[in-house]
Amino acid sequence: MRLLTHNTMRNNSKEAKGMGFPFKITAAEVKVIDNPDAGATEERDIDFVKRMLPILEWTALVRAASECGISSLPHTLTTDLAESRPFLQALYHILMNVHLIKGMLTCPVTGREFPVTNGVPNMMLEEDECERVRL
Amino acid sequence: MTVISMEHIVPVVNKTAAIQQQQRYLVLVEFVYRHLNFQLAELKSILEAHGIHLGSSSGSSSGCEILPLPVPPTNRSISNRAFVILSFPIEEAKRWSGLTQTHEEQQLWGCSSTNLKDCANQSFQWLNRKTNNNEVESSSSSQSSSSFQRDCILPLVCDDPERPWKFTIHTLGTKVRRDEQDLMRKTFQDTLDSLKGPVKLDDPTTQEFLLIREIELDGKGSALLRTAATNNNNNNNNKTSSDDNDDDNNSNNITEMTSSQKNNKNNKDAYYNTDAIAYYFGRVLGGRIRSNEGSRGLDHYSLKSRPYLGPTSMDAELSFVMTSLGKVTTESIVYDPFVGTGSILLACAMRGAYCIGSDIDIRVLRGRGGNQTIWKNFDHYKLPRPEIVRSDNALYHRHYRHHRPTTTTHISSSTTATTTTATTTNIAPHLYDAIICDPPYGIRAGARQTGSKLDNPRPVLEENRHNHIAQTKTYSVSDVMSDLLDVAASTLKVGGRLVYIIPSFRDFEEDRDLPRHDCLELIDSCFQPFSNDLGRRIVAMKKIIDYDVSKRTEYLQSIWIDGAESAEKCANLRDKIMEAAREKPGYEEKAAIRKVKRKANKEAKKQEKKRSKQEENQSQQIKSTI
Repeated sequence: MRLLTHNTMRNNSKEAKGMGFPFKITAAEVKVIDNPDAGATEERDIDFVKRMLPILEWTALVRAASECGISSLPHTLTTDLAESRPFLQALYHILMNVHLIKGMLTCPVTGREFPVTNGVPNMMLEEDECERVRL
Repeated sequence: MTVISMEHIVPVVNKTAAIQQQQRYLVLVEFVYRHLNFQLAELKSILEAHGIHLGSSSGSSSGCEILPLPVPPTNRSISNRAFVILSFPIEEAKRWSGLTQTHEEQQLWGCSSTNLKDCANQSFQWLNRKTNNNEVESSSSSQSSSSFQRDCILPLVCDDPERPWKFTIHTLGTKVRRDEQDLMRKTFQDTLDSLKGPVKLDDPTTQEFLLIREIELDGKGSALLRTAATNNNNNNNNKTSSDDNDDDNNSNNITEMTSSQKNNKNNKDAYYNTDAIAYYFGRVLGGRIRSNEGSRGLDHYSLKSRPYLGPTSMDAELSFVMTSLGKVTTESIVYDPFVGTGSILLACAMRGAYCIGSDIDIRVLRGRGGNQTIWKNFDHYKLPRPEIVRSDNALYHRHYRHHRPTTTTHISSSTTATTTTATTTNIAPHLYDAIICDPPYGIRAGARQTGSKLDNPRPVLEENRHNHIAQTKTYSVSDVMSDLLDVAASTLKVGGRLVYIIPSFRDFEEDRDLPRHDCLELIDSCFQPFSNDLGRRIVAMKKIIDYDVSKRTEYLQSIWIDGAESAEKCANLRDKIMEAAREKPGYEEKAAIRKVKRKANKEAKKQEKKRSKQEENQSQQIKSTI
């Protein structure tokens, strides 16, 4: 699971009331996989990050990164940084190449734990946690 | 892209003067003879993805247009033609050329006509005209170097006259006799004489000139033969003598035809099994994706070569068609809510997109059979891993937060400020460029959603919670589709595309039964028949307006026009297919035969097992005695 995905997920149970974000990461295994695909160019990466910037929850990202052992992200995102190419490139690396392979995601509201195995988070609820309401 | 395999480019010789003045180039696209229904839709999407506008107005200076194909004089309307002639302004042809480079298609330039002589004359004219232009260019201001450069960028326009070349004839799978081929070549003598380079068959720099003889095809892409009635009398006598001559014809019909034609050697036309309806001549401009050799041919991506497969893995070719319809490029973010073995995302990743997939199936976590997981395929092709989450598409909006931060103050750069100020609370955020998927319809894989089938599920014991697999319950097709369309409408960017597959049983009506959404517009719906009763459609939709969260219930209610009735038509297909099979005459007998065969197979396996066991025992006995 990439940090970008972590930045969008929340606890889907009813008790969390949609507030189950961001998950606290307890990392057991973190891997940096950096194999650029054929179409990868610096320009594309930077465009990608620029597109993501308005969507990102920055504070959540900073915390998640530090939980995965990356403490280099600044606490606030300034206009200068959002324009700086080396910064955007580094940010791309953090968002896309850092994978949480094994670990636990803990909901900040209910404390429900969602395991991550083999790089895939299991966000499904047990049957006794679901309510019989169609969204 | 898989379907375009060849192109011709030539300036318009016999078309309107208005077009002639502007430099326009004709491209002949020959599609492969599979999925003929999909071809035009895919071509449109590909052109659009590269920013080429496809219009129909003749004489306009920009945009690409489709010209009518040559029609034989008999005035019959001919269907199932696998060719399209596109006319480009020179600037767009350049872009198109870039596109073909990335997708490895075969291009040609040349000209087209119903008459072979005509065709030859046109290409001769074009070639001479072109060489004249070249002379003017080089003599006017010693720009030979610049014209060479342009050759590199734009291989359609001018070429090195010294380049080696070869001449090929393509007859759409039918046979043409050697002497007839010679005649066809001779017709192009003038054109070929103007080429100064040597003839080389397998040099990498060789430019290939291709003559295509188009014939009439039936719906399945095989040749429509001339009515055999007139020649039937001669067939029986000569059949044996013709065997040595016609070795690899596909159907008996053709062998019969050719044997009869042996008798009419005087009549040159009779050497063909079929009547030509058009000739195209031109220069091949690129490779083809479908070729068997080459690391990037379609075979390279065939399902057979993948380490991880499931029963519903999508065919490689169709996955590529779907990515084209979804306009997937290197900048795209693609989401597949029913990822399964990741076969669709694999095609997207090959196009360089960032892929996100989710599935409710536990196998996305565990894989099947030991080490086989979804990552295997991506690693196999050395593609970046997609993002996989086990989640429930029915609860999409509960799994993912709205893709817009609650605190918008943390960033104030000029580019992003405009987007944040433009947001109102009612408009849902958007993230994806395309959502491409093959939803489960219960033919081979049924849809599931979170929850238990019991009203009061038994609580999961605390000590089991760690290893417990949550129960799921069936997820009706109408809900699958309405959730899919709703997720697409709310998460796609405006202009983004939703591409999905829907099965169509015989009573399925495209106009009434396809699900619809106020935010999504139907672009294309391509039908692929499987049998008389069953087929499937690839449906492409485009998001046209922003999603209004307050209208959500309204949206959901209007998804099926006929309500549950429409949804019912694509649900429970397995039962319907079985039922349809039962209705056919002779089903009982066939079923009985199959039953006997199955039994015999089982019995044989049992015997084999017994025998092997006995042998083992014997060998052990022998060992023990030794």
